[in-house]
Amino acid sequence: MLTPDERERYDRQILIEQIGPEGQEKLKRSRVVIAGAGGLGSPIAIYLTAAGVGMIRLIDHDRVSLSNLNRQILHWEGDIGKKKVQSAATKLRNLNPGIKIEAIDETITEANVSHLLEGCDAIVDAMDNLSTRYILNRCAIEKNIPFFHGAIRGFEGRAMTILPGKTACLRCMYRGSVPEEKFPVIGVTPAVIGCIQATEVIKYLLGIGQLLTNRLLMYDGLEALFTEFAVNRNPECDHCGQIK
Amino acid sequence: MPVKVHIHLTHRRFTDGKEVVEAEGQTVGECLNHLIQQFPGMEKAIFAKKDKLHNIVEVYLNHASAHPNELAKPVKDGDEIHLILMLAGG
Repeated sequence: MLTPDERERYDRQILIEQIGPEGQEKLKRSRVVIAGAGGLGSPIAIYLTAAGVGMIRLIDHDRVSLSNLNRQILHWEGDIGKKKVQSAATKLRNLNPGIKIEAIDETITEANVSHLLEGCDAIVDAMDNLSTRYILNRCAIEKNIPFFHGAIRGFEGRAMTILPGKTACLRCMYRGSVPEEKFPVIGVTPAVIGCIQATEVIKYLLGIGQLLTNRLLMYDGLEALFTEFAVNRNPECDHCGQIK
Repeated sequence: MPVKVHIHLTHRRFTDGKEVVEAEGQTVGECLNHLIQQFPGMEKAIFAKKDKLHNIVEVYLNHASAHPNELAKPVKDGDEIHLILMLAGG
């Protein structure tokens, strides 16, 4: 049941026909992991917190630095040197004290990923490298938990939603390793993509709308253009190919 | 009517700034070879070695992923190829 304060806080979204009080209660009961508290993780966490997702587990091993502040909007000048998850959790708890924020200061590895993702309804990709994305992708498939992919570079971004065993996964598109880089980016790009990912999570949790499954959405901020490409499951995929 | 190859922003310095280049061939690979004949700078931009694309280069044919075995995919007149770069930042 929603409390009177919750009914008031979420009044405008409860007015949305596809949400209503029942949808708001679903969000309240939901548990979401956000892997990364940086450029993508910031808008994802802010909007899922504001929307009233009941539990958000934020995972990041990094500390805030000055060069993060052009895009990682959960972190401010006074947070430099602090752990990102602590900096983020403080803002998110102030934004919405009615939900639970779990701040986990750890590096995601093959060894700990299963434990870190335990008990959640959705996993959001807010990482800054492909190798950790693949660790998350594999674990999401093993645990049968939806995985919400996003990535950015410069003015470009992409997003895709993965329902394990049903739709194409991140690894279905794998061509081999790609060297890590110090990627260029301006804050508006992860803002756009992070908001798309958060929208996908909300839609999934509520069971409404059309998800970005088997559809890779590409965003070109310079051209102000969204382009969609069809992506199908790869039977040879080493993460999901064996799942019928 | 030939195939249209959409060039990624990063690669347009190799195509005189052209966003779309027309190429001919029976397969994606043949079209890319024709693209390279017209704009030789594209070879190193998209191929790691002969018949092997860079891992970061994604090929979409008529707005659908051509992966795997992209280069062998047949094309017909009027088809569209998009050359896209994988993104990894966050």
